[in-house]
Amino acid sequence: MRNRAILAASLLTVMVTACGSSEQPEVLEQIVVRERGEAAPIVQADPAAPTDLAALGEDAFQMCSGCHAIEAGAPSSAGPNLRGVVGRVAGSLDGYPYSDALTGSEVTWDEASLDLYLADPAGYLPGTDMLAGAVRDEENRAAIIAYLASTSTDDSE
Amino acid sequence: MNDMSPEKKKSGLAKWSRRGFIGAGVLAGGGLLIGIGVRPGNPIGSLASKVAPGAGEQLVNSWVKIDMNNVVTAIVPHCEMGQGAHSVLAQMLADELDAAWDQVQVMQAPADGSYVVSDTARMFAAPFTLNAADWLEPTWDGLFTQLGKSMDLLITGGSSSIRTTGQNQMRIAGAAARQMLVGAAADAWGVPASEIATRDSVLTHEASGNSAPYSEFATAAAEQSMDHTPTLKTRDQYRLMGRSKARTDIPAKVNGTAEFGIDAVPEGLELSYAAVVRPPVPGTNVTAMDASRAEGMPGVLQILNMGNFVAVVADSYWQAQQAVNTVQIDWSQSESPVRTMDDQFAVFAAALDEAGETGGNQAAARGDAPAALAEAATVLEAEYRAPYLAHAPMEPLNCTAHVADGKCAIWTSTQVPLMARSEVASTIGIGADDITIHHPYLGGAFGRRLGSEYVAMAARVAQATGYPVKMIWSREEDTQKALYRCADMSRMRAGLSESGALVAYDSVFTQRHDPAEACVPAIYNIANTSVRVAEAELHLPFQAWRSVDHSQQGFFIESFIDEAAHAAGTDPLEYRLAMVENAPRHKAVLEKLAEISNWRGPNAEGTAKGVAIVESFGTIVAEVIEVDMTSGKPKMTNCWAVCDAGYVMNPDGFRNQIEGGIVFGLTAAMYGELELKDGAIVQSNFHDYKMLRMDEVPNIEVALINSGDVPVGGAGEPGLPPAAPALANAIFAATGRRLRELPIAKQFT
Repeated sequence: MRNRAILAASLLTVMVTACGSSEQPEVLEQIVVRERGEAAPIVQADPAAPTDLAALGEDAFQMCSGCHAIEAGAPSSAGPNLRGVVGRVAGSLDGYPYSDALTGSEVTWDEASLDLYLADPAGYLPGTDMLAGAVRDEENRAAIIAYLASTSTDDSE
Repeated sequence: MNDMSPEKKKSGLAKWSRRGFIGAGVLAGGGLLIGIGVRPGNPIGSLASKVAPGAGEQLVNSWVKIDMNNVVTAIVPHCEMGQGAHSVLAQMLADELDAAWDQVQVMQAPADGSYVVSDTARMFAAPFTLNAADWLEPTWDGLFTQLGKSMDLLITGGSSSIRTTGQNQMRIAGAAARQMLVGAAADAWGVPASEIATRDSVLTHEASGNSAPYSEFATAAAEQSMDHTPTLKTRDQYRLMGRSKARTDIPAKVNGTAEFGIDAVPEGLELSYAAVVRPPVPGTNVTAMDASRAEGMPGVLQILNMGNFVAVVADSYWQAQQAVNTVQIDWSQSESPVRTMDDQFAVFAAALDEAGETGGNQAAARGDAPAALAEAATVLEAEYRAPYLAHAPMEPLNCTAHVADGKCAIWTSTQVPLMARSEVASTIGIGADDITIHHPYLGGAFGRRLGSEYVAMAARVAQATGYPVKMIWSREEDTQKALYRCADMSRMRAGLSESGALVAYDSVFTQRHDPAEACVPAIYNIANTSVRVAEAELHLPFQAWRSVDHSQQGFFIESFIDEAAHAAGTDPLEYRLAMVENAPRHKAVLEKLAEISNWRGPNAEGTAKGVAIVESFGTIVAEVIEVDMTSGKPKMTNCWAVCDAGYVMNPDGFRNQIEGGIVFGLTAAMYGELELKDGAIVQSNFHDYKMLRMDEVPNIEVALINSGDVPVGGAGEPGLPPAAPALANAIFAATGRRLRELPIAKQFT
């Protein structure tokens, strides 16, 4: 009798696993940017687009966005959310598991300290978990920092 | 023989088929012990092109081939995900075949219904038949091969490869192949088969001075009739089994040539790459998508709203991932009432409240637990909790798919190639026969790759774009939007007699998946036992995770038994020993453990020890963990494990799996936890879903007992379940603090 019960229970599990979820919605939207082999479309420069440093920095920030969120309230991913980082005490964002190097650094982020840190994270704060993502290029670095600073201003407005 | 034309090959196979199988009626219905290609309607010829395409290769039977260079290839139906199954299954086949180990190769069986692992199907569906009487074998096996095929059970899991496929198929295949080679040589030499000896892939007839390599008789052997119950070796005759032969897959993994699913570069196909974003809260869908930024990003080809996920297809993976990161997605509202883990535990608690002291579904019952609890001198009550856990395999989830001309080709790391095929078939509307699954090595799985939703996703993207697409999930997607080890809550009660003996046991919890017996403290002689399930909804989708229910039940049961021992004022190991008095194997394991861990001796300065024992997947494992609490935080110093798997086929491989299971279990015990915020998982990557670091892992000593004539047990999972309770029990011994929930590290900050 007990054997029977096990048979039924196990069969059910196997079948549930086997069936899986095969109910798939249709493709709702398909944006074809270009066909393979075609050159990338030339993006027309928008004459009205701002050309200030922060705007350049927003594009350059793409290289950081693999690890860092920047949207207000977005959860931190591999790195902490960087919205409003300028003016923030290093290692102070709630809920992000910082390395001791950051929490013990007594740094308050400003343009100068970010410049040093982004140029060589482990050189500036030995023991940091930020092992990738140094911004060696000076202009890029300045642009990214300007963009980061602009997010601090946005929120204080 | 060395110059076999296809025509010759064909005629030879046809003859074998007729003489070997149609001629032996019993085999036609039940001759499945030897594997595939051995029955009418499934002629070996149709498989030959898939597994023996090379010139001069002769398929001796479906699980082994021998080529003209005398190389024996074992065709292994299970996948290789680091557990060493390929190598040890070949070892078992080669031993029965008397093959030279250095000339044995391993081949992954293709994802073909003919290779269903019928014995694994049996273990999952009806474990009690595995030890069925001999006369039932053909019936059972035939039934389960059919069942297995219909349920796509070409599966690697359940710590099953050795004890099912190895014991009941690979060995028989090897022995049958040997007999056929001997038969062919006997015919050719005109001597009695009984006088022919085999060793190291060579046939010898001493009296006549004849000697030949297997390859010389491979073709002729295929025309011999096949004995469906060949005599298997006894242990004293083993030459390869029971020995730590070097694994066949290691060299390629060391020198970097081994190919994993993510390495797929299909010949002749120009790949595009897909990155995806799935719903942060399970069961929700895309309601709006703004891809304007992604459209302008380098390398981007297409952006797709697939309803339940968003994909960007680009020239490279990095471009696709960067672009998909910028897509703004609105998701539908989840109907789940669970927004946080407190909510999830409240759901569990409500189900347990409703079940009360006697309600719920009775999973196991013995004696009269409610009455015995009412009469007990002492009653202990405790509530235990376990968190959700991710599998976090090193190789990210990935799948390469190509859909064209009504056919589909898939390259992926999977534990279930045929289920994946079925899921692709039902998802994209192409028949299973037109779908080919290529499944190279897996870079870890731990149960995660028993699910196939990622395979179907890649097929959908490939179908929609028309491009051959390699889809790779980011680590964050895999951590936050996958399938999980369930969280659970268990309420336990124990009744102790005046002398402290455990006379009544009752537990009620909400999750019961597999194995069915994991929730029952069956190894102990407790007169009154009641085990109940009060089912409750999970917020996150379930997937088997290394050792499945044993992973949480081992912690619940073995921690609570420890509580009973301490309440009785008895040493926890002696307390357990007293309860396995009539189970000699369990007793021997605990005695051996006491010996190697110096349990009865004094503890090293500043340390304390905890013990736990769990039988799972046919193997009994008991572990002692020693902790040093002098810093206020647990520092694991030593771990001793004693295992009885009946018989260990490859001691080094077995130890390796037990050690892996222990480290996996201790990682989860110390750090493993997924928290919820607004219904979505908070942890995202290895920085907040931590693994044990090398310097945190204790020294591990594994002792093996080959206890004798019992069914052989598994290796991949049984090391895990005792690890967490042994650690928690050690911390209790050191501090007097009972840990009833996991993970542990955050409770000592």
